[in-house]
Amino acid sequence: MLDQLLAALNETERAAVDEEEYQILQAVVDELPAFSHEVSQLIPILQEIQGKHGYLPRLALDMVADHVQTTIGKVYGIATFYNQFRFNPPGRNPIKVCLGTACHVKGGEILLENFERRLQIKVGETSDDREYSLERVACIGCCALAPAVVVGEKVEAYVTPSKVEGIITEIEVRNEMAAREQAKNDATSE
Amino acid sequence: MTQLANSPKEHLLVHAERARERVKELKESPVPVIYVGCATCGRAAGALETIAGFEEVLKDNGIEARIEKVGCLGHCYAEPLVIIQNPGFPALLYQKIGAGEAGILVRSFLKDGSDPCYEYLIGALETDENFPTLMDYPRYLYENRVVMEHCGLIDPDEIDHYLAVGGYLSLAQGLEKGGEWVLEEVKSANLRGRGGAGFPAGRKWEIARKVEKTPKLVICNGDEGDPGAYMDRTLLESNPHQVLEGLALAALAVGAERALLYIRAEYPLAVEIMERAIVQARGKNLLGANILGSGFSLEVSVFKGSGAFVCGEETALIESLVGNRGMPQPRPPYPAVAGLDGLPTVINNVKTLSTVPTIIRHGHQWFRSIGTEESPGTAIFSVVGEVEYPGLVEVPMGVTLEHLVVDVCGGIKDGKELKAVQIGGPSGGCLPASLMETVIDFDSLKTVGAMMGSGGLVVMNEDTCMVEVARYFTDFTQGESCGNCTFCRIGTRHLRDILHSITIGEGKMEELTDLEEISEAVIKGSLCSLGKTAPNPVLTTLRFFRDEYIAHIEEKRCPAKMCRPLIAFYIDLEPCARGCDACVACCPTDAIFTTSNRKKAIDQEKCVKCGECVYACPPEYDAVRRVSPPEMIPDQGVEPLPDTEKEKEESK
Amino acid sequence: MSDNLVTITVDDQKITAPVGSYLLPACLENDIYIPNLCFLEGMDDPPASCRLCLVDIEGEAVPVASCRYRIFAGMVVTTDSEEILKLRQLAFRLLVSTNDGSCRTCIANHGCELQKIAKFLHQPLKTKRLRHIDREYPELVDNHPFLVYEPKKCVLCGRCVHVCGQLEKGYKLDFANRGMDTIVSFFSSDSDPASHDCETCLACTEVCPVGALSSKVKWTSFVAELEMKSAQKHKGGQG
Repeated sequence: MLDQLLAALNETERAAVDEEEYQILQAVVDELPAFSHEVSQLIPILQEIQGKHGYLPRLALDMVADHVQTTIGKVYGIATFYNQFRFNPPGRNPIKVCLGTACHVKGGEILLENFERRLQIKVGETSDDREYSLERVACIGCCALAPAVVVGEKVEAYVTPSKVEGIITEIEVRNEMAAREQAKNDATSE
Repeated sequence: MTQLANSPKEHLLVHAERARERVKELKESPVPVIYVGCATCGRAAGALETIAGFEEVLKDNGIEARIEKVGCLGHCYAEPLVIIQNPGFPALLYQKIGAGEAGILVRSFLKDGSDPCYEYLIGALETDENFPTLMDYPRYLYENRVVMEHCGLIDPDEIDHYLAVGGYLSLAQGLEKGGEWVLEEVKSANLRGRGGAGFPAGRKWEIARKVEKTPKLVICNGDEGDPGAYMDRTLLESNPHQVLEGLALAALAVGAERALLYIRAEYPLAVEIMERAIVQARGKNLLGANILGSGFSLEVSVFKGSGAFVCGEETALIESLVGNRGMPQPRPPYPAVAGLDGLPTVINNVKTLSTVPTIIRHGHQWFRSIGTEESPGTAIFSVVGEVEYPGLVEVPMGVTLEHLVVDVCGGIKDGKELKAVQIGGPSGGCLPASLMETVIDFDSLKTVGAMMGSGGLVVMNEDTCMVEVARYFTDFTQGESCGNCTFCRIGTRHLRDILHSITIGEGKMEELTDLEEISEAVIKGSLCSLGKTAPNPVLTTLRFFRDEYIAHIEEKRCPAKMCRPLIAFYIDLEPCARGCDACVACCPTDAIFTTSNRKKAIDQEKCVKCGECVYACPPEYDAVRRVSPPEMIPDQGVEPLPDTEKEKEESK
Repeated sequence: MSDNLVTITVDDQKITAPVGSYLLPACLENDIYIPNLCFLEGMDDPPASCRLCLVDIEGEAVPVASCRYRIFAGMVVTTDSEEILKLRQLAFRLLVSTNDGSCRTCIANHGCELQKIAKFLHQPLKTKRLRHIDREYPELVDNHPFLVYEPKKCVLCGRCVHVCGQLEKGYKLDFANRGMDTIVSFFSSDSDPASHDCETCLACTEVCPVGALSSKVKWTSFVAELEMKSAQKHKGGQG
């Protein structure tokens, strides 16, 4: 089925499906049979795919359409209606800046700009090395701890503009340490 | 009806007895018990690190103690919150306990029992002559915790904790007396929907009960999308079984056999906790087939909302359940008559359903004794912003805004002035300090242009610009408009665009008329309540803070000094201390430089007006000034950095 | 449609119509014009989205969309009050504020519903007081073998989505995105047989009230003609 879908693409579209995306699509082919074929399952299926793989590849939408026997237009319409769904892979460290009322009043917007400046990406983008992605969220319900930022799964409270640097440095240090650990292990295993 | 040998109540009492024994074991534990608030906000404040801290120090010191994760007390300003039950002492509540404080508590209080660490103590949970008790604090004294009674005190993952405090007793009672009786009780209590509009829950149930079509469905609306409101999440995370019990009672009253919990996907912990709670309740036959032997069955499942604010609207919520784009539908037909798949569907808010068990338990007369005649019961607000003690507050309906903000929440922080409260989120309004005597109930708030909404309340001081607040909310609603109807899709966009141009100093006076004209049309002509309420923040700010709009337009001045294109920062050279580099170090864009006389100045071209230097400047100097319009910067004779110097700096 | 006819009053005029049917078509049949863009005869659940057909009904607190309001015996309808006129005018102004107002070069010129409504409501076709909102759409979507879509002209009435959805087979147009970004989505490919059914159908282009959705054949010749005319004019100007 996947090959059939790929064949239907034009050349540029096909070239855009890289190895990683192909792997995800293969996995989706295996996962789909576990779901019922009802159209009402559309949103839960999309949530499940994104939950597992981080985003919704374009061809995965075709597969879902086929699975619940509806049109790609309908699936695309749903996926683009709801804020939750994304169509490109998130960074390894997804950063979500809360812009709920309390966070906004306390300068959430300024935080967002600081992240944009520090990471050299715009909101909604993923950095080239796929290390970071930056998003705005409407409210994560941590209003009394405003302004708040979600880094990965962790909620950071009372984030000031100067704390932005600290958050990124922390990730960099962690990566650095992991890399060293890895190098050490590689060395010992050799 | 003849009493059956094994009535639902008797069935339940068996469970309750066992639960009480288990909880008693905990309460009378010979070793200390440490309760840590682990709802989302507690975790954000570091509760999990606190637990790790306790575990480590307990182990190092060889002390045996139990750690219990509980929900949220609603005292967000004091997170992470910890209750310590040390044998020989009353249960004590501590605030702001990080991993470090956890270590101190273990060593000083648990190890030798000598020092209960008064410096972190809020008070004892029960009256005690040696300790202050919680009731000594206004925040506890003035609150009337009916719905949130057990939040933060019980473990949401343990159904026994809920059973031990009388949980599911109301359901057992309802099952014995029948759905009609439950319906009458809730109707007599005049419980009004806590989701915002205040429609009587009993009336909604009655409509659905009378429709002949079956099966019927009850949905708990936990798609809490108002930015600035999180009470639904707290109830789901802190006392999930109370929500389930309310849902089961509603289903019983309506005659439904299926129920759904609609929870936003942004609340992963709430989803996880509710899913676990459903399994537990089913395990004790409190949900599922033939509940407690009564013959009444109810299947409950969770549906995760995908993050569209408009899905809080009942008809849009239903659309999303059937796998459609969440577009609101014209009413009638009302969902209670023809909802999901054309079947009678009752949709109630989390708070509404959480209130139901308390009404059944204590009776409608008790409920009506709280609050006002037209709005009985309590209101739960998430009070955030510039107050001393932000968090979740449950007060009886009918108290004034003044009482809520000043008496209960400790008033404005840092000795500043109260300017306005924004109540009801994007569909609510901004009320000025002069209206603080307004009574909190469904109807009074509407008369001043605001509404209960879902209970978000943001307190603002003089540093908040009301035009900017209106722009913020309008930006939010226009971004969340489903796009179906002309007024909401395009009208709110024009509102947003005009407000935006005013905040950047490009507004025109005649556009104030446009704002009013478009607002009124959007209210009258929109299809659903999202559009019909979206202009409220615009209209209330125009009504109460018109002079701020005029200052932005005519003087290009933001009186609150908040709108960044209209302000500038400078360093007052008089108090600026020589040699202190705090501002230089904190500036994210390196806009601050040292002048020829060793003082500091800001390069206005580089400055992004983040205000970080204001906080960085030591309070004893307090030398950073904010002015609006930007031309107000006085000439202090600062020579701009010569280009050669600049190059030198850059090459560094 | 002889079943259960009732008499209702519309602007002091008595008309008869089937009870329970929608109000808008009953008025239109009786030559009472109410502006509308998103309604199509035979819709079970009209989207009530354009808001141009708002009317006052005695007993209703707020104006209602007549396309989605069911007739009952003795109802009293006002379609021409000042308040209604003002609301419709504003709805219309909002709609044209997102369009580019390029009537002269539009395939629907002289046959466009917006032009008809503009005349009826005495409103200009170009936005004046309100700013023009330039929607972030492509100028042209022409990757379908038989259809051409000009999103900046689209009023998002949804008629095309509706008729396409009614067809047994079909290509199934649908909405994508949300709010101001809403757009009609096209997923076509030459290998998709559904796209080829469009060649003989073109129902969607027939119901488009404006010039947003057209048959590729017609559109191509229209554009060619337009270019020819402009070239001639240019030449004439020079000579």
